[in-house]
Amino acid sequence: MTISRRIFVKSGGLALVSLGLDPLFLARAAFAAPRPVGPSARPVLVCLFQRGAVDGLNMIVPHGEPAYYQDRPRIAIPAADVVDLDGHFGLHPSLAPLKELWDNKSLAAIHAIGSPDATRSHFDAQDYMETGTPGQKSTGDGWVNRFCQHDREHADTPFRAVAFGPQLPRILAGTAPSLAIDDLQAFGLRVPQEGARDRLTRAFEELYDGAGTGLLASSSREGFEAVQMLKRADPTQYRPAAGADYPPGWLGKTLLQIAQLIKADVGLEIAFADCSGWDTHVNQGSSEGQLAARLRELGLALAAFNRDLGERTRNVVLLTMSEFGRTIRENGNSGTDHGHATAMLALGGPVNGGRVLGRWPGLAVEERFEGRDVAVTTDFRDLFGEILARHLGATDLGAVFPGYTPSPDRFLGAIRD
Amino acid sequence: MPLFLIATACVLAVQAPVQSLTPRDSAFHALNRLAYGARPGEADSVAHVGVMKWIERQLDADHISDSHLAERERQFKILDYDRADLAGRYRDATRERQRLQREAAASGDSTRMRGARPMQEFRELGGQLQQLAIVRAAVSERQLREVMVDFWTNHFNVFVGKGADRFLLPSYIEETIRPRALGRFEDLLIATAESPAMLFYLDNAQSVAPGSTPPAQRRSAFLLRRRFGMNEMPEERRQRRPTGINENYARELLELHTLGVDGGYTQQDVIEVARIFTGWSIEPPERGSGFVFRDWAHDHGTKHVFGLTFQDDGKDEGIRLLKSLANQHATMHHVSAKLCARFVADEPPDGCVDAAVAAWQASRGDMRAVLRAIFTSPDFWTSQAVGSKVKTPFEFVVSALRATAIEPDDTPRLAQLVARLGEPLYQQPAPTGYAETEAHWVNSGALLARMNAAMMLAKECSSVPAIDDHAQLVDAIDQKLLGGTMSAHTKSVILEQLADITDPEQARAMAVGLALGGPDFQKQ
Repeated sequence: MTISRRIFVKSGGLALVSLGLDPLFLARAAFAAPRPVGPSARPVLVCLFQRGAVDGLNMIVPHGEPAYYQDRPRIAIPAADVVDLDGHFGLHPSLAPLKELWDNKSLAAIHAIGSPDATRSHFDAQDYMETGTPGQKSTGDGWVNRFCQHDREHADTPFRAVAFGPQLPRILAGTAPSLAIDDLQAFGLRVPQEGARDRLTRAFEELYDGAGTGLLASSSREGFEAVQMLKRADPTQYRPAAGADYPPGWLGKTLLQIAQLIKADVGLEIAFADCSGWDTHVNQGSSEGQLAARLRELGLALAAFNRDLGERTRNVVLLTMSEFGRTIRENGNSGTDHGHATAMLALGGPVNGGRVLGRWPGLAVEERFEGRDVAVTTDFRDLFGEILARHLGATDLGAVFPGYTPSPDRFLGAIRD
Repeated sequence: MPLFLIATACVLAVQAPVQSLTPRDSAFHALNRLAYGARPGEADSVAHVGVMKWIERQLDADHISDSHLAERERQFKILDYDRADLAGRYRDATRERQRLQREAAASGDSTRMRGARPMQEFRELGGQLQQLAIVRAAVSERQLREVMVDFWTNHFNVFVGKGADRFLLPSYIEETIRPRALGRFEDLLIATAESPAMLFYLDNAQSVAPGSTPPAQRRSAFLLRRRFGMNEMPEERRQRRPTGINENYARELLELHTLGVDGGYTQQDVIEVARIFTGWSIEPPERGSGFVFRDWAHDHGTKHVFGLTFQDDGKDEGIRLLKSLANQHATMHHVSAKLCARFVADEPPDGCVDAAVAAWQASRGDMRAVLRAIFTSPDFWTSQAVGSKVKTPFEFVVSALRATAIEPDDTPRLAQLVARLGEPLYQQPAPTGYAETEAHWVNSGALLARMNAAMMLAKECSSVPAIDDHAQLVDAIDQKLLGGTMSAHTKSVILEQLADITDPEQARAMAVGLALGGPDFQKQ
């Protein structure tokens, strides 16, 4: 550690940071040749966690497989409704707004991806996907946080890793600073008058300076630093670009605020958001219905995000993830139970899009995991690892995924050369 | 039973596990953990009675008079509602919403839905429940029972936003959880399994043996087939009828409610358990939405699980299974460790967990015995434990109300405050409930929200008088809000901030706000 973040922020580095050029970055730029320079060139990863286990088979539909229709008499997406991608797979009709991105090769789907661990517990599986250590419950920190700990190239700003929501998710837990923001507009102390607000902020900052060590102390410190930076960025003035129309609701609002942070150049490298409502045990629906409504919101939100970012998408990758997939066969309630592999979406300029990536094991009974679920052919760490290495420039994946080294041989080619 | 109590009380009096703490500090600690913090002066009065005696009284909650709470409860209409009434109104509201949606779809005019909000009553119901929880936690004299109600409601989490749970939750809390909060674990487990709220939330109400059909539907399906042919059966109808088992409740029962995720069960065990619970369902709204066992939906085959065999014994299969699960070692350990995380430390020492398990074994799951074992364990009283836990959002808000002597009102604002701090009541969609460890609620955004909450509540503080002398003011705050545990650093920062404030009201609001929002008050 060459310089404490605290001193850095307090000693006037702010002006530089608000341009996206922090002193460390400048100092290192000369040595980090392949690293893009300049505010709009900093690579960003946005992770969207579909909590509750999304039904990958109805999101990216294998409409070329007869078994899909045999096992899902009530909830399969009729072939006529599927937005065909490559003759075998297609998008759920609710995701039609994303077809344009597929066509311009900035959207890829990854199928049959998941965890090597067989658990069908939401809790465990989410935990494993966030810690990056399937089967290991003792891991305390998340893989995004470990990336931030080990990759010092991108100097920390309080906004380097941000989760949207009132709670800091497991994926960001750890010793590297990370931030949970419920609402960007309301972040900070609520005192109408600016002078009084600054004074109160300083008073609380001093109080917590004496809080010693531990989570309370570090969380408060990071909070105050973020408040100061955000003050410069002035988020209240934001308007989405190019007529981007985010759908109402939490997801739209959150992606709008992520776009805002990206454009504000406050040093954002990884953003994380949850979107829930995928645990469709009962009356999942088909082209219309419960899952269709959730996917419609997702499709509209992602399309709006892409439009809003415009030219900036060339350095942004958005990745969806979910803890596992759902049973191939529909259950007795026109829903699906907990399964194994699922599908993920990657979109953005750096994405090698227009393709369904990963080896598709098919739905033949003998290929199924435990005779019932889509088998995992891609360990999620291979995808996460590829994105960290080839998009964010991570050099030490072994430290990010202990006990496992994602190897370039197993990379799917999700990121363009 | 009385003999047992007397005997225990004697042992406690002799044991006095509070060596390193003053009687007042011990009382303050007990009030932080067994209650929602100390009201002004309460640490002294508990110390005066004797902390162990106070703990025994809290364990015997039925004998504590609670007239102020009873008065406050009378203002909550929700407590007069009957589940059957609510069920009928919910069904009407659902139909009304569907009708509006159909009309909107037919006319292509999505604006038609605006203004008409048939579900509004049920959204407000959820809000009332949250307000009631805050009032009870803040004013009840039976503090430990309120803490345990919160613990169990979270352990057996039901998400208020899921369909029928909007109206099933009130009876879940009043009839299922509250009467059993200090009772036997087994009784509580069975009650939750039979509760319409849980049956709906984890989908067991829809879990039926494959191939089974309801007697009434057998006739109508036959008629329909004659009239339309099977494939022309109305789509909605075909989709609605459950035709197989649903594993959701079975899995969460094992993973979350009883054995724990490391409890050593398999996917096959989950399926067997799900088969045992087929037929545990809910009456239709016109019959009150109560529990019903549907024999036609039950899987009558033989099931093998955890070394037990279940052979066509109807509902009793499930009861027998629950009784067995309630007293398995993995369950005792899982639930005891969670209790110790709540009461002792986020990472509880083995000693208190072992003591709780032993008491569970000896009393067959009497929660009062288990809790007593935790509170008399030396681990509960060590300096590592005292002041080591960060309050949850709910604990923070309620303890602030108690310390400042703010009577919680019947507006949604306090519940909204709890939500803003990260843990809205009854609104955790995942069956895990909220975690018991600080990493889940301490983060920079949430801390800023606590400071904002503190400044807001400080304006209404009535426990601290406005005093001209700043040093005296800060001392008064230390005594009333923090039981004399305010750090020297906090004192000096607050005094510094007061330096140029001359108006005593303003000084009080600033000082109380900083004290409530500062690090000392976050801890318990």
